[in-house]
Amino acid sequence: MEVVVTGLGIVSAIGSNKEETSESLLACRSGIGMLHHLQTTHTHIPCAEVKMSDEEMKRGLGIGSEEIITRTSLLGITAVDEAIRHARLVPDRRLRIGFISGTTVGGMEKSELYYTDFVSNDSHSEYIDAHDCGACSEKIADYFGFFDYISTISTACSSAANAIILGTTLIRRGILDIVIAGGSECLTKFHLNGFNTLMILDSEPCKPFDDLRAGINLGEGAGYLVLESATTAEARKITPLCRVAGYGNACDAYHQTASSPEGRGAILAIRQALEMAGLRTDEIDYINAHGTGTGNNDLSEAQALVTVFGESLPPFSSTKPFTGHTTSAAGSIEAIISILAMKQGFIPPNLNFSVPMKELPVIPTSELIDGLTLNNVLSNSFGFGGNNSTVIFSTK
Amino acid sequence: MPVYITGTGNISVQPTATTEGFPEFMTHQTRYARCIEPSWAEFIAPMEARRMSSIIKRAIASTQMALTQSGIKIPDAIITGTGLGCIEDTEKFLTSMIAENERFLKPTYFIHSTHNTISSQIAIRLSCNGYNNTFVHRGISFELALHDAMLMFMEGKIGSAIVGGHDEMTPAYFSLLDRVGYWKKEAANTMSLSHSTTPGSVAGEGSISFMLSDKKTASSMAEIKAVDTFYNGSGTVNLTRRIETFLSENGLRPSDIDLLMMGLNGDVNDNNIYFSVADTLFGNKLTGWYKHMSLEYFSSPAFGMWVSALSLQKKQLPDDFILRGTSKGDLKNILLYNHFRNRNHSLILLTSC
Repeated sequence: MEVVVTGLGIVSAIGSNKEETSESLLACRSGIGMLHHLQTTHTHIPCAEVKMSDEEMKRGLGIGSEEIITRTSLLGITAVDEAIRHARLVPDRRLRIGFISGTTVGGMEKSELYYTDFVSNDSHSEYIDAHDCGACSEKIADYFGFFDYISTISTACSSAANAIILGTTLIRRGILDIVIAGGSECLTKFHLNGFNTLMILDSEPCKPFDDLRAGINLGEGAGYLVLESATTAEARKITPLCRVAGYGNACDAYHQTASSPEGRGAILAIRQALEMAGLRTDEIDYINAHGTGTGNNDLSEAQALVTVFGESLPPFSSTKPFTGHTTSAAGSIEAIISILAMKQGFIPPNLNFSVPMKELPVIPTSELIDGLTLNNVLSNSFGFGGNNSTVIFSTK
Repeated sequence: MPVYITGTGNISVQPTATTEGFPEFMTHQTRYARCIEPSWAEFIAPMEARRMSSIIKRAIASTQMALTQSGIKIPDAIITGTGLGCIEDTEKFLTSMIAENERFLKPTYFIHSTHNTISSQIAIRLSCNGYNNTFVHRGISFELALHDAMLMFMEGKIGSAIVGGHDEMTPAYFSLLDRVGYWKKEAANTMSLSHSTTPGSVAGEGSISFMLSDKKTASSMAEIKAVDTFYNGSGTVNLTRRIETFLSENGLRPSDIDLLMMGLNGDVNDNNIYFSVADTLFGNKLTGWYKHMSLEYFSSPAFGMWVSALSLQKKQLPDDFILRGTSKGDLKNILLYNHFRNRNHSLILLTSC
């Protein structure tokens, strides 16, 4: 059964919807800057924060200011709302509609704020049960109220990609008719400090695949795709944007926080996706790389790309210099950027690239290329623990 | 395609880790109990074990037990269900970050704080490059992991999988959940949880792994026919109709079920949902329960599947787990039904093999 994409919703530091996101990409306007909302002592570390405050998002969504809701859920609702409108999805009792969300920090941004109270008094206890990942997904689902299936995936920075894979599989097997799949993650002191202790945060805008790359800029946001069977889309008279042509999921099984030098897991995930899509390497028109900007990831990923694609390596770029590394949401945010690029015929540039890596001089697309026809795009998402996933979207 | 349970490993608040088959089960008079752990030396080198949190040691050991029993060395997939993930290391990083105002932090606890550390650490130990996933959805985390494995079998992508339900209940997290009404206010006798008149449950933890395979072998205990979950966030789902539909999709009627295995957890509101479903659909069928033995935590339904698989192998449900009726020694079809606050519901259909 063919699975198609009929709606997209995205919020990140480069925009609160698809239009703003496309505009920023085409204008080469990065969202990386100084923090305004997250209260941390690490004020000098550049991040890609969503401009809206919790209060602004609540107002925009008609949610009362007293409502117990985490930033992860607010970002999620904002993006799901856009995706649902885009797909002109209305509740229908005859359809089984699922919601699958990827997140890792979940409600940590409130827990780290109130933890001392959690332990000693009841002044913020209402946030205790909003902390876990599943609670954050349910808060998103309940805003809309029509989901009869729900699931939450946490594979660190590939969570949202695995949500798309599960959604596609559930539709392929005829278990669900429509799935809204993606991920949501807000910035927290917890993971900002975590990545900082690993000494993999760049103090300047990140430079993926550059020889002088010095690490990640963390970002936040949410991205959700409306997936459905081609039959359902046809019955609903919705023209699909593209289809999910293939996917792969493999484990690098090398180290908890480092990728294998040869990119073993990445090679497997990419090859599985190509095989499932029935595509040759020279048929992929654009690769949105995971490209975090760390020494280890970029070299390992580049090695995997060279191994799989060889001479037919298509244009590729990491869009993390735009959005920052949105961790659990990266898989869907970057899938949506890939689809926008495919639909509008451009390749978003890998900003801040100038010097090729000494060990493996592959050159990402560093300037915007417009006016292209892209038929097949591939998006990579890799997580801590070697959770590597690849998804391919095709127009035909 | 048939999928068989061909090996299990169970570390729980019962002496399940140290016994072959069913151990002597214990009743508790408590609000909270922790796992009875095996000697780690059998599974993990002492130097390594010292650096690992409880949940990682337990997951590695229960996985190894399941692998050994099945005779499979490297599975095609590793899939974990965990409500809270590596909460012990998360708390360590969080509390030192708060206490030291974001200074002097070491990366170790952060590295091992993510939920997917469990599946990853198992993969690294086994050098398993196969499919790897982690489900983190409250009271149906384990069932979602199991369902994912079934989907991968159906898609023809795997022939074997390790599926685990892992949660650790730290004293700190027990206290936090206590503030928001998860637990009984006073120590309860676990045998009395089925007819409790108060809200809240008794806290437990566990690490239970299953080796699944599409090949029937001498160690195969039961066949997994189907798994399903559904969401009732709106509170409008007709539960009995939904369960009947699930059964009919698998060619069965309620009368074909020999044992209804339910997730009664001692919370009067949760228990009532189970009794209502049992009374409406299954009348005076043999009914079982297990959370009085596993105690309650997000992935506790894994314990229910463990009891059920072993019971199918012996064709008999031990008396300790009988809620109503008598087990006649001819068990064939078991329906496991679990719900979390009437919001998340799960169904697992097992049959003898």
